[in-house]
Amino acid sequence: MAKILIDERECDVAEGTTILKAAESAGLQIPHLCYHKAFMPEGSCRMCLVEIEGLPKLELACSTQVRDGMKVSTKSESVIEARKGVLECLLADHPIDCPICDKAGECKLQDYYEEYGLFESEFNEEKEKRQKKIEIGKNLLHDQERCVLCRRCVRFLDEVTKTRELGVFQRGVHAEVATYDGILVDNNYSGNLAELCPVGAITDKDFRFKTRTWFLQSRESICTLCSRGCNIYVESHQGFSRFSLPKRVYRIQTRENQMINGFWICDKGRYDYSYLDQERLDKIVVNNSEDPQSWQEITSIVAGEIGRLFHMKRSSHIGLILQSWLSNEELFLIDKIFRNDINIGKISFLDPPEESSDDFLLTAERTPNRRGAKEIGFDLQPADWEKFLEDVDLLFVFASPIKGDTDFSPLKAALDKIEKTVLFASHNHEINSLFDMVLPMSLIAEKGGSLTNIVGSVQGFSPALDAPGNCKPAWQFLVDLAKKLMINFDFYNQFSSPESIREVMKKEIPYFREEHE
Amino acid sequence: MSEWIIILIKIICALVWFLVIALYLTWVERKESAVIQDRIGANRANIWKFRAIGLFQPFADAIKMIFKEDFTPKFSRKFLHNLAPFISFFFVAVTISAIPFGDVLRIGGREIKLQVVDFNVSLLFVMAMLSLGIFGIILAGWSSNNRYTLLGGMRGAAQLISYEVALGLSLIGLILVYPSLKLSAIVHYQGEMLWGWLPKWGVFLQPLGLLIFFFAALAETKRVPFDLPEGENEIVGFFTEYSGLKWGLFMFTDFMEVLIVACLLTTLFFGGWQVPWLYADGFHFPWGGEWLLPHGIVVAFQVLAFNLKVFFFCWLQILIRWTYPRFRYDQVMDLGWKLLVPLSLVNIAGTAILLSLIG
Amino acid sequence: MIKALGYFIAIIKGSLITTRHFMVNMWFHTLKLFRIKTKRKGAVTIQYPEEKRKIASRHRSLHRLLKREDGKPRCVACMLCVTVCPSECIFVEAAEDPDPEVQKVPSIFIIDLSRCCFCGFCVEACPEDAIRMDTGQIEFAEYSRDKLIYDLEKLMG
Ligand code: SF4
Ligand code: SF4
Ligand code: SF4
Ligand code: SF4
Ligand code: FES
Repeated sequence: MAKILIDERECDVAEGTTILKAAESAGLQIPHLCYHKAFMPEGSCRMCLVEIEGLPKLELACSTQVRDGMKVSTKSESVIEARKGVLECLLADHPIDCPICDKAGECKLQDYYEEYGLFESEFNEEKEKRQKKIEIGKNLLHDQERCVLCRRCVRFLDEVTKTRELGVFQRGVHAEVATYDGILVDNNYSGNLAELCPVGAITDKDFRFKTRTWFLQSRESICTLCSRGCNIYVESHQGFSRFSLPKRVYRIQTRENQMINGFWICDKGRYDYSYLDQERLDKIVVNNSEDPQSWQEITSIVAGEIGRLFHMKRSSHIGLILQSWLSNEELFLIDKIFRNDINIGKISFLDPPEESSDDFLLTAERTPNRRGAKEIGFDLQPADWEKFLEDVDLLFVFASPIKGDTDFSPLKAALDKIEKTVLFASHNHEINSLFDMVLPMSLIAEKGGSLTNIVGSVQGFSPALDAPGNCKPAWQFLVDLAKKLMINFDFYNQFSSPESIREVMKKEIPYFREEHE
Repeated sequence: MSEWIIILIKIICALVWFLVIALYLTWVERKESAVIQDRIGANRANIWKFRAIGLFQPFADAIKMIFKEDFTPKFSRKFLHNLAPFISFFFVAVTISAIPFGDVLRIGGREIKLQVVDFNVSLLFVMAMLSLGIFGIILAGWSSNNRYTLLGGMRGAAQLISYEVALGLSLIGLILVYPSLKLSAIVHYQGEMLWGWLPKWGVFLQPLGLLIFFFAALAETKRVPFDLPEGENEIVGFFTEYSGLKWGLFMFTDFMEVLIVACLLTTLFFGGWQVPWLYADGFHFPWGGEWLLPHGIVVAFQVLAFNLKVFFFCWLQILIRWTYPRFRYDQVMDLGWKLLVPLSLVNIAGTAILLSLIG
Repeated sequence: MIKALGYFIAIIKGSLITTRHFMVNMWFHTLKLFRIKTKRKGAVTIQYPEEKRKIASRHRSLHRLLKREDGKPRCVACMLCVTVCPSECIFVEAAEDPDPEVQKVPSIFIIDLSRCCFCGFCVEACPEDAIRMDTGQIEFAEYSRDKLIYDLEKLMG
């Protein structure tokens, strides 16, 4: 352990920690551009200069390790002067076209200028002209003028994806980042570059010019497009009072979680978010037309159907087809209601088929919660559909939000024959029309709950978006339904939130009792 | 027969005079307020681009008023609601019949009094008609069946009745001085001279009476410093539930009252149609000069003098309306009961004592 | 009693003031009637549609979007005006421009003038001097609200 003083603040850190990390742990921010937690310090931008007592020159906080009794100053006059100097040098060779730069608003250069710069430019010469719009990847554009040569992008491709498409060429003022021999950055993690770049030198084509960063509201969520459960931020636009926008979600950003995804997410999770807004089903549909009845009335009808069969001792004629897009809590409720209370006997999963995984984050399973379903005790093998649908009088189906990823054809033929079919869907699929009743469901990003990822970590999540229209989270519907059924009222009456369900779950299922985070 | 024709002509002339002047008082009010406030005032109404400094404005207003929706609220007492504005209007309109516009006009050996009817008690008649106007207000307020209009009506009734007292009492002194209730007689008395040169006008013989009468009459017109029964833009009052022509009648009645007050002031205190030192055959100046005039010119002088005096008092009332802010209700009542009524009693007593001393 | 007298005097004074205004203004009106030229006028009124007040140089009037030499809008769709507008009455959508030196141009630029409060913040905020409120145009009332929604074409004039 080393005891050091940073700006009169004492902190105890492990021997070998860098000053920058030590300062961060003490709650002090030291400006930096090239340093990134994911990589070894590089020491190329010189933004992080600090003064260390007893040393004649300023030192780099990102790469200097602490020594016991070190006295560091991040606010001394010479440090402030030096930072200004570094910024002035950087900006002398920078186009400052913030109005058209997608990074503006979250650009480190802007932030540091506001905080530490605020000088009048004395650079009157012509600025170096470079290429401003080079395509360096299928989703990436590069602006050489804006680049501050921090090499974060190069290091990412060297160390994380190991694909090494980018490099720094030339020397001195002519140094520039470019791809080797015109190959494009084309790997499943390329999207991280735009986020990683501290300035607007690498920008994302998907987000390009769509809106400005400061309009976006960033809320925590979990990526649901594979079973890795990467931590993300869903960034949505709150809209304007007088003009309507085509969508809510403008981009997905990574959220650090060292246990699961580190600092990164794959391009699938980053770019395939359109399902959050497109073709959403937001009203109750009965017999293919919008139904004016309220959720309460609909719940009563569904409960009545179930109750009728239940009291006629025909519960075995109720069928239930699930998908592992449901949260742990919802699967738990389904287990309780349909298996425990009514004992319907016919439950099966119809998940989309596995696709190829890569060897980093993306998994083969394309639903987020297969592991959770397994731990709760469901059999995930698809049933023999013909046999399954024989003499089913009442069928419930949970549909996937991703259009076309699930093959519903085995069901189609049988649907007509079944007396009553109910679909829980979040989108307008072509199969919706085959069901008697289609109930709009919230997506994972619009509700709370928890998911169990492929390696068994249980992660809670809370709503990142408001549910559109009449959508309802499945757990809410299930709780209401269970209460209407009046079989085990007191048990379900205690559930007012996903957290309260989780508490009970922890008591009943040993797997969830242990910490799997 | 010809008597009737003459009466009819007189009625028509008096009414036309009354209505046209009242109509143009709206114009005068706009213009005068504009001039007071460094503005120009209504000047856009035109006929074929001919604007005539806004002289067509009253007609434009009238046309607008006629074509506006005549709205009668469902909950009102329909008949009385419709009747109220006409009551207001009627009782003011008839008072003009008692006002003498001039002395007598002699045409073809016939003597025509320039007054519609010359009652013995024309002063009482005028006062009575003016008081009856209150019915219009109360009726309007009550029949609208809206508690705010009812309150407005009550305020109006209370105010008008209070000032009626002062108004009546202020005139008793005058009647003591000019022992007649006949307006034509009162005007004749005012033609006499005091000390041979000062006309015996009410203003000189009854200055206090004039002041009281003037204040009380202002209150009777329900216009600005006293517009508590209904202040168009802020006080909800008795004709809130009216629109269109009937609303217009109420507004118009206000202007007619202004005109009537001006006529009464002129007749009672400023010698009516009298021109100082003008007698039936021409001017006889106190310093001995003479300017004899033919009969027609004398009558013209008289009528002109009456009109000029009336216009002056109209102008004055409008000036007052555009000068002072509104009284508070308690101030209105204080002024009426605590100041004007006692003062008028003092005036009566003083006049009586003085008269008995002089004999 | 003295207080009451004071009131009385104040009342008289008040009417003298209005009378003075009336007389003086009437005098100038009369002079004008006889076509006698005077420096002062009887009224301060500006007879609006015929007579117009001179617009001050800093007056904020109808917006316009400035153009580059080649006729394209100077606006780069940075949405700073959208951000700053207190009435939330500007809407901008950006599009790609083939010229790498321009890159960003507005494909939609809407100002809902029925909501605009003419604060001029958009002009202040614009980093490109692309929007100005110096047209001097103040007469753009319309009979329907949607006609007050000005688009790129209308704003570029
Ligand atoms: S990178 Fe973009 S936002 Fe940052 S300073 Fe440069 S132009 Fe401005
Ligand atoms: S492109 Fe961005 S991340 Fe790469 S070196 Fe330049 S500034 Fe750094
Ligand atoms: S003037 Fe003000 S309210 Fe109008 S568009 Fe500009 S910023 Fe918005
Ligand atoms: S602030 Fe200027 S450049 Fe930016 S969007 Fe508005 S008008 Fe265009
Ligand atoms: S962060 Fe230390 S030199 Fe860049």
